Amino acid sequence: MKLKITPFMGLFFCGIAFGQMKDSIAVDEKLVEVVVTGTRTERVLSSLPLPMTIITSEAIVKSGVTRLSEILNEQTGIILIPDESGFEGIQMQGLDAAYTMIMIDGVPLVGRSSGVLDLSRVSVGNIERIEIVKGASSALYGSEAMGGVINVITKRPKKDVFTGSVSYRYATFNTNDANANLLWKKKKFAANLFANFNSSDGYDLDKSTWLKNIEKYHNTTIQPKLYYDFSENLKLIVSNRFYNQKIDNKAVIETKQYQGDATENEWNSQIKLEHNWNSKFYSEYELYTTNYKNDAFLNDENSSLFEKSYYNQWLFRPEVRNTFSIRDNKLTAGIGVNHETLDRTYFDSNVVFNSQYVFVQYDYNPTERLNILAGFRYDNHSEYASQLSPKLAANYKITEDFSLKASVGYGYKAPDFRQLYFDFMNPSVGYTVLGYNVAESRLKELEDQDQIASRTSGINFNDPLKAESAINFNFGTFYKRNKFRLDVNAFYNSISNLIDTQVIALKRSGQNVFSYTNISEIFTYGLEYNSTYNFSKEFTVSLGYQYLIAKDKSVVDNFENHKFVRPQGSGTIEISKSDYFGLFNRSKHTANVKFLYSIPVIKTDINLRVFYRSKYGMFDTNGNQVLDQYDSFVNDYVQANLSVSKQIQEKLMLQAGANNLLDYTNPSQINNLAGRQIFARVRYNF
Amino acid sequence: MKTNFLKLTLIALVLLTASCSNDDDKTPEAVAATATNIPAPQTGGQAGAASGAYTKFSFSENKVVTTDKWDIAFRGTSIIVNGGAKVVTTDADEPARTGQGAVSIVSGTFSSVITFPEATTFKQDANGAYAFPTSGDNRWYDYNSTSHLISAKAGKVYVVKTHDGKYAKFEIISYYKNAPVTPDPLKTEDTRFYTFNFVYQANSTTTF
Repeated sequence: MKLKITPFMGLFFCGIAFGQMKDSIAVDEKLVEVVVTGTRTERVLSSLPLPMTIITSEAIVKSGVTRLSEILNEQTGIILIPDESGFEGIQMQGLDAAYTMIMIDGVPLVGRSSGVLDLSRVSVGNIERIEIVKGASSALYGSEAMGGVINVITKRPKKDVFTGSVSYRYATFNTNDANANLLWKKKKFAANLFANFNSSDGYDLDKSTWLKNIEKYHNTTIQPKLYYDFSENLKLIVSNRFYNQKIDNKAVIETKQYQGDATENEWNSQIKLEHNWNSKFYSEYELYTTNYKNDAFLNDENSSLFEKSYYNQWLFRPEVRNTFSIRDNKLTAGIGVNHETLDRTYFDSNVVFNSQYVFVQYDYNPTERLNILAGFRYDNHSEYASQLSPKLAANYKITEDFSLKASVGYGYKAPDFRQLYFDFMNPSVGYTVLGYNVAESRLKELEDQDQIASRTSGINFNDPLKAESAINFNFGTFYKRNKFRLDVNAFYNSISNLIDTQVIALKRSGQNVFSYTNISEIFTYGLEYNSTYNFSKEFTVSLGYQYLIAKDKSVVDNFENHKFVRPQGSGTIEISKSDYFGLFNRSKHTANVKFLYSIPVIKTDINLRVFYRSKYGMFDTNGNQVLDQYDSFVNDYVQANLSVSKQIQEKLMLQAGANNLLDYTNPSQINNLAGRQIFARVRYNF
Repeated sequence: MKTNFLKLTLIALVLLTASCSNDDDKTPEAVAATATNIPAPQTGGQAGAASGAYTKFSFSENKVVTTDKWDIAFRGTSIIVNGGAKVVTTDADEPARTGQGAVSIVSGTFSSVITFPEATTFKQDANGAYAFPTSGDNRWYDYNSTSHLISAKAGKVYVVKTHDGKYAKFEIISYYKNAPVTPDPLKTEDTRFYTFNFVYQANSTTTF
């Protein structure tokens, strides 16, 4: 008996030892960690002159979350917020969801509702690493990369291996998440097969209404990736991703209930050839195609069709990238074409966007301590003015453990299809929204039908709608000493030609006709702080904090127009410019504390994350159209997520935990915060 | 000594008469009050034409009146002034204008409006045109289509020339019964109740 136990115990301790080693290596690995999103080439993270956050697959597994939206929401400086229409998107450096590009393996996802991309479309089951670059990145990625980019990098087998995992997770609200992931490589062939099934009954914060906050849904993701190495220097990747989701569609229009379905179908296809000509010249040839479809319908109480809507967007992008290595330095040049079409209800016809682009980047190491990144991208577009997006960044290593980095860049976001071609009338309220390019002709039609009471003076559509643009500055530092690691970044964004809705006419029914225009100039600035302290091999605490100010420049310059407020139920008072709080939906302070505690004796990891969000305003509540300190705010709150993982034998892992442990909800003001959700997961690695 | 006493008496006399005359010429204070829960029911108006009696209000009497001696009248969100001509001639419920009333719109806090606005800024109701605008910057309310809330605009003070040529200024506080801090716009039995602060000046032609 004793003899039998000892070898087993030996294995046991080996397992722990390996686990411990992995954790301590993880800290040092971060310094030689190789990233790709900042430069579109492989680069060492520690000397990258851009603010970048990495989320490792271990961190994702230990957190117990299942969708991309959930893991991003836990990062400093990134917050998941619903906009006025209820679409949830991420906010980075104070910029809205529409200004962040979301990519999987370096190619972008399409299919946005009012500019917002639903990040719960992406399962985290086969993610190797998430790289987040903050700040204007249009010099490499073009439009939509105004606030930054998020790149989800999926697993790729590097050496001969046959491994995989299956997992099943059950949570509150009858939420199921099943994953199967297979990694296989043998000589020249490799494959990564991933499948995910996710379903939930949704949740309802207000049981008195028939509509739920999230309706019942189920979705499936299948991602087969195939690799073939023609030789060490020529490698082919064929990657496909299929996503299908069906969600209950419910609406209440003039007290009548309508019910139906909404079905989303997404297909991403990436064919890439990695070609190493020689040690100095490397090329990548890539063909990316993606299609996002959304079909929804509503039936009335008699099950006859009331309303049908569809959305069908295609993006076709061939791109070639070349990198020349000149001693220590790298010169990257790329060229590509975007062919994008959108066919949807509320558009008169199928719309096509064509653009061509070229980008150049020089990754320059003049001395051992100094790294300079300089580049620009030129986009030529069929529907709006061409854009030149330059960027300059530098990183200086004062010592091995202390470096400073600074960057300045230009970002832009082109007017999207909706802002140019939309033609929509809301049936329950009666207002109409018209895209900029169709507004003039549609208004004339409405006038001919005698539906217009008056047109807002001074508005015409003679000049084309301009792209929104931003200039972004980042200045930060990286510091490491023994068990302590610090990352601080100060940022400033100045955004002009922000496209927003404006009233262009008044209908006889009393409702407004809206269109889009380049209205505002906003600026955001702040500081992001991240630190990690390893008390011991078993216990790590990390602290994150962001200070953010986001204001409308025209309000600050013309505060005279907003100086009168009327709190509900009382008379007008006059306020001063210093009472201006800023833009809606932005908190001045957000913070997070993360505790990771390992108990090697019982092979258990405890991961506790606590988040704080300071007060923010959703609407103007006192009549001056802006948010001032006398308005009603959504209260600040604390939220916590806990997950406990236990390794049983070598291959089996059990995990349990709770999201929103403190069960904080604010049903009347926050509609995307469900109460406490308890989950349990079992995972088998082979 | 005698001269000093004489001088002092003279000064005292002058001061006395001066102060006396100030008292005599002093304007009587304007009347400040708050009208609460003035009901303004309305029938129809969403799809078809609105109907129902207007609620007439008099500043001098500080109450709802049914006589011709009214200054402003309310129905739903519409406000009319007792001067000019009927706006919707086919509306039998709209009262005929019996006075010389008019209204001028001033931006500012309620207490900051002291002098009457220029005579040219005063408007009366006319055929097809309300003196109290029903759209644009000078409409008295903002409507939030998400919350369905009707809130009185900030910084709008209405100076009204009453039916008999006197002046009043008023600021609308709320459209909901008892002027709550958090009104429930979906509770229809509590909507269409005006609460407003006003000042009525019967004795001056220039200031409040």
